[in-house]
Amino acid sequence: MKQINKIFLLLILISGVTSCKKVLDTEPQQSIDASTALQNDQDVNSLIIGAYSRMGHPNLYGTDLLLMPDLLGSDDVCEWRGTFTSPDDIASKAMDRNNTDADLIWETAYDAINIANTAIGALGVVKDADLKKQLEGEALFVRGIMHFELVRLFALPWGATADNSQLGVVIKTDATKNEVDAGKSYPRNTVKEVYTQIVADLTKAITLLPEENPKRVTKYTALAFLSRVYLQQQNYAGARDAADQVIESGYYTLNASVNAVFNNKDTKESIWEIQQNDQNNAGTANNGMATFYASLPGIGRGDVRIDDDFVANAYPTDDLRQTQWYYQGTGARPNHTYCAKWTSFSQNLPVVRLAEMYLTRAEGNLVMGTTVGDTPGNDLAMVKNPLRTNSVAPANPTLNDIRNERFIELAFEGQRIHDLKRLRLPTGSYSWNSPKLVMPIPQREIDATRGVLIQNPGY
Amino acid sequence: MTKPKLLLLVVFLCCSSIIWAQSIVTGKITDSKTGAGISNVSIIIKGTTQGTYTNSDGAFRLEVPKSNSSLMITSLGYSSKEVAVSGATLNITLEPGNSKNLDEIVVVGYGTKIKKDIVSSISRVTSKDFNNQPLPSFEEALQGRASGVYINSGSGKLGQALNVRVRGISSISADQQPFVVVDGVPIVSQALGSSDEPDNPLATINPDDIESIEVLKDAASSAIYGSRASNGVILVTTKSGKQGKSRVSAGFYTGWSKPTRYRKFLNAAQYREIFDTAALHYRDSDLDPTSEDPLVGADEFESETGTNDWNSTNDVNWGKLAFQHGAVQQYNASLSGGDARTKFLISASYNDQKGIIVSNRLTRGTGRINIDHTINSIFKIGTNISLTQSNNYRVPSDNAFSNPLQLNAIPPIQPEFGPDGKLNTATIYYNALIDYEDNNKNLSKTARTISNAYIEATINPNLKFRSQVGIDWNNLQESQFLGRRTLDGAPNGYSYSNQVTASVFTNTNTLNFNKAFNSNNTLDALAGIEYQRGETNGSGVTGLAFPSDRFTKIASAAIISAGTSSETSFRFLSYFIRGNYKLNNRYLVGASFRVDGSSRFSTANRYGIFPAVSAGWVMSEENFLKNSNVVSFLKLRSSYGVTGNAEIGNFSYRSLYTAAAYSSVSGIITSQIGDDKLKWENTKQFDIGLDFGFLKNRISGEVDVFSKKTKDLLLDIPVPATNGFSTITKNIGDMNNKGIEVTLNGNILVGLFKWNVSINVSTYKNEVTRLVAPVPPGGRTLGRLAVGAPFGQFYGVKFLGADPANGDALFADKDGKPTNDYSLAVERVIGDPNPDYYGGFNNHFSYKAFDLDVQCQFVKGGDIYNIAGIFQSNNANYFDNQTLDQMNFWRKPGDVTMVPQPRLYTSNGDQKSSRWVQDGSYLRVKSVNLGYNIPKSILRQVKMESLRIYVAASNLFTFTKYTGYDPEVNTQYVGNINLGHDFYTPPQARTITVGVNVGL
Repeated sequence: MKQINKIFLLLILISGVTSCKKVLDTEPQQSIDASTALQNDQDVNSLIIGAYSRMGHPNLYGTDLLLMPDLLGSDDVCEWRGTFTSPDDIASKAMDRNNTDADLIWETAYDAINIANTAIGALGVVKDADLKKQLEGEALFVRGIMHFELVRLFALPWGATADNSQLGVVIKTDATKNEVDAGKSYPRNTVKEVYTQIVADLTKAITLLPEENPKRVTKYTALAFLSRVYLQQQNYAGARDAADQVIESGYYTLNASVNAVFNNKDTKESIWEIQQNDQNNAGTANNGMATFYASLPGIGRGDVRIDDDFVANAYPTDDLRQTQWYYQGTGARPNHTYCAKWTSFSQNLPVVRLAEMYLTRAEGNLVMGTTVGDTPGNDLAMVKNPLRTNSVAPANPTLNDIRNERFIELAFEGQRIHDLKRLRLPTGSYSWNSPKLVMPIPQREIDATRGVLIQNPGY
Repeated sequence: MTKPKLLLLVVFLCCSSIIWAQSIVTGKITDSKTGAGISNVSIIIKGTTQGTYTNSDGAFRLEVPKSNSSLMITSLGYSSKEVAVSGATLNITLEPGNSKNLDEIVVVGYGTKIKKDIVSSISRVTSKDFNNQPLPSFEEALQGRASGVYINSGSGKLGQALNVRVRGISSISADQQPFVVVDGVPIVSQALGSSDEPDNPLATINPDDIESIEVLKDAASSAIYGSRASNGVILVTTKSGKQGKSRVSAGFYTGWSKPTRYRKFLNAAQYREIFDTAALHYRDSDLDPTSEDPLVGADEFESETGTNDWNSTNDVNWGKLAFQHGAVQQYNASLSGGDARTKFLISASYNDQKGIIVSNRLTRGTGRINIDHTINSIFKIGTNISLTQSNNYRVPSDNAFSNPLQLNAIPPIQPEFGPDGKLNTATIYYNALIDYEDNNKNLSKTARTISNAYIEATINPNLKFRSQVGIDWNNLQESQFLGRRTLDGAPNGYSYSNQVTASVFTNTNTLNFNKAFNSNNTLDALAGIEYQRGETNGSGVTGLAFPSDRFTKIASAAIISAGTSSETSFRFLSYFIRGNYKLNNRYLVGASFRVDGSSRFSTANRYGIFPAVSAGWVMSEENFLKNSNVVSFLKLRSSYGVTGNAEIGNFSYRSLYTAAAYSSVSGIITSQIGDDKLKWENTKQFDIGLDFGFLKNRISGEVDVFSKKTKDLLLDIPVPATNGFSTITKNIGDMNNKGIEVTLNGNILVGLFKWNVSINVSTYKNEVTRLVAPVPPGGRTLGRLAVGAPFGQFYGVKFLGADPANGDALFADKDGKPTNDYSLAVERVIGDPNPDYYGGFNNHFSYKAFDLDVQCQFVKGGDIYNIAGIFQSNNANYFDNQTLDQMNFWRKPGDVTMVPQPRLYTSNGDQKSSRWVQDGSYLRVKSVNLGYNIPKSILRQVKMESLRIYVAASNLFTFTKYTGYDPEVNTQYVGNINLGHDFYTPPQARTITVGVNVGL
């Protein structure tokens, strides 16, 4: 018996000890460890695709960056009728420090910036020189436009102080590598510093990006965004020239039908659009442009109701855009007016399209008294003409003609509040530089940085 | 891990030639007063688990090994006895006496112990406590019966997870539910389904198969389960065969159920009245707040709904349409028996519960075979095999428009059916009944086996080796179809198919040493190794666009809109030892030590150490009490130890990248930044307890005081999102739980009319003692975490009712003064969802052939926040139907009321506030069971052992001031910090059953 005891004990010990080390090693199956994630060309390319995916997220261009600016400028244009309180507060300028959408835009935009910075930091492993250039250009583009969207929403507008020393957002140009980096707090840079960084990133991206890059961004996408940035800074010459380069590249033409850019994928009018399909889209129930805008059987919540007066008065009578871009709802909250630009969950989401470039060039030329590329009259007529819109542009348009055209052409594409701010026009009773038109820095950020981030006035 | 099996085989071959000497003992056990034979007396050979029961005459026959010389005789209602085997025949008399038996065998981790010798805190509930009750899931049997175990069923939905908290709340982001072990096999108790409301994998276990449920509460009892034990451990032991005559038992019950309460909403006339008033007082908040801009109710209603229903004669009680009459049936049968060498139990059951919420149904078919076989004097083998198939027709999440309870938001003036005779689709909110018409379904099917096999070797009389392999294999298949008329199935149909398989394999090898050195010294020691491997994998597909609603499977879908497959796993490797020493039958000391290694931590922090010590003093064995007429038993005990909580994400310590699809290409994104210094959450628990029995144990009970200090709680701490990550999981929180548990048992009446009472009351006081920053309430919820406050404390704005002057909603500002400006109101503590105390009050009466059980359960304190108040009790801010109390709205200056003036589309008190916080105290008559046992004299003629017919009720009465559906509520979609939240959450069912049990 004693022998048996010993054998038992020995065997138990052996069985325990030998199996000890390796049995506790398991690997995740749906994820890969950060230490081995970025090893070659394909990995870094994947990370850039990930950055596109982030930008298509409902918190960014998938919904919020296209929807919220229009809710901020919704007065006399549209109404938020939905039950979600966060967009309701944005539309009624009653945001508080914990506004959900403000928080999510902030977090997701910086997530995209960190992905871009991580890709830039990993370029060393990319062997193919052309690919390396392209990836760097794309990463800089993402970083640039994300800072641009953030500074437009979370800071008093360009021009609110003479030297633009008002607080902007945090400029982030290095990647978060570990948990120590992830805990660091950074103060807000000034609006001027942020714009300088944006222009630098986009300018460099323009030199790196290819002219063609199917379904991804090109040199001209970066130029189109640069024209937006310059326009926001009232740098009309810069805006004009950037838009001119896009138009003159010859890659883009306006579609014959005003609806085509929304109903089809990757039309010639589109300079950049967020790619979506049935499987991968911004959402069908609680997120997504069609979810909020549409009121069709089985599609959409009918949350954004368009003011009938806006449709009737802002567009010339019988303008095709009046009839093709608006309809009476037949789904949720029926029998009211809704915008037809966003009617399908799986549609691509145009972020920049050629019509805007013509209007930017026209506005730039008119302000500067130049005719770079073409005359303002001809550019306006490209957008507004009997064939495309069943309306006629004036031969010698005024600045107002062009700016009004911009409001109706780009309506419900996320441009309105930004245009109002740069033109120093009010929305409702709120003047262009009202702090109520600036989103709060998320309270969680102020808490997480222990006050290093300073809150916007009024919150 | 095949080595242990191999070694067992070797040992088996070496030793199988040894022969075991046996002798047969027969006898009769009788009542010392009446002289009648006592049936069902347990006779166990001391130091083993082998034994038998007496037959209806009190006779028994047992094979006893020669080396063992005494028998433990126990029976309900009698004092226990230890009897030496003095010859082949034994006639034993038992004294009627205590009901809660101190010689009861209690299951502990990796073994059993006699209750008297236990120096730890264990709550025990046995099958006779919950027999014949229609339990949706077995854990409910603990409610009101086990002290220190707080159970909140959460909702009346069948198959939903229950909130089970042992001695308070010991974690924040890791699991808070106790660790569940069935016959030595750790099982999957986490939800597998894809709904945001967790399903309950424990609902697949047949309560009728369960012999006992032990809850290990203190560190001394639970630390042997180390890193899994901080939330307590529930040990489930299934029934097994007993030596003696083969027994057949069969049961059947059937019953009917209704909700415990319906709520009252406005009828059509009231609805028009309040909304007419509301329209009149509409204020356009974008403009000057004092300018009034009157509207007309009928016009606005038409504008919002596109219907003319305002002018109809409809008066529909939509709230009631969510409910149906429930029903329950159960059929079960078992065969058990055995001889000295082989014991077996075979059982089968089928249970079908039709819920009280439309379409809700849960069926469960189970089968079980438990066999133990003694091969020779050394080897014993056995197996428990169970199979379950369960179908749960689920109800959508509380937060879904398709949740039938949300029907109560639909105005009474809207008709149930449209002009086409089909369910009305033109309601202001989705008519959720459409989710249940035609081919629509939401079915979760579970197939599961929890099985084990063991071999036990008695190496010498003092040393036993046992090796057990166990597996829990749990497969869940969800299939959902929603047709084109439904909210989520429009426009062309939606179908979802998902399957998840979770399995846990466990191998446990233990060596048990048990020796009495002389009559005064006993040592009981255990050493073991356990290995566990868990795997979960799943796949799911979503299809859209079907030719018609008659096609429901994804094969017929035009669009495959989503598809996924996933896999994850964890492993544990553990070593443990335990020793218990008893001196002079009165001094007891014990210690245990466990080392757990887990794949969930980085290599540097992989192992956790979990020790515990305990000591007890049986004072009633001391000379100064030994002969007391008053004190029959008195034991003081205390324990201290460390347990852990490893129920965190499988890979929380790592930095990870995941795939992110962008239309038809896929990229990668950073998904998690990890802290590789992550370690176990650990809980140090101190317990002091007193077990007592007075007046020959006619009054007995237990008192326990505990203090649990949990450190290094894993928390997702917020980090600046500007770095690309919003949270990191770190060990950053501490929390304490302190409490008292008292259980009192009494045989108030003995004799012909018997009345036994058992009362238990427990408290826990939770306090968060360390956090980086308070976790504020989010969105519509009130639960928060803050240092110095209890877990989930309600924190928000205090509502002060209507301003008598103008009907404005008033809130407390920073000085507590009323303000009508919500932005000036200051958040403060406005409630606590944790109970002040809770417990149960259980009575057992018997008179001749009748017996009656009445079990009550209560909770004192525990505030409830009805989130749905924002919509249903908001003095008509939008067109949701309102609760009846809203008719007390402010009408004219001078009115003093808690309901502000109705103002359509205008916030006037609909903001999140204390307005919908109420005291959730309740007393519930949880179960009543009245039975009649047909006399033996009659049964003998038809060769039956027993026949009992009964009528039973569960949730018969509920006494509460809570005005919602049910005070036992915890909507689950809001996450675990938000305790006591109600959001269109269905109530429990009140069920009346009649049944019969037959024994052959």
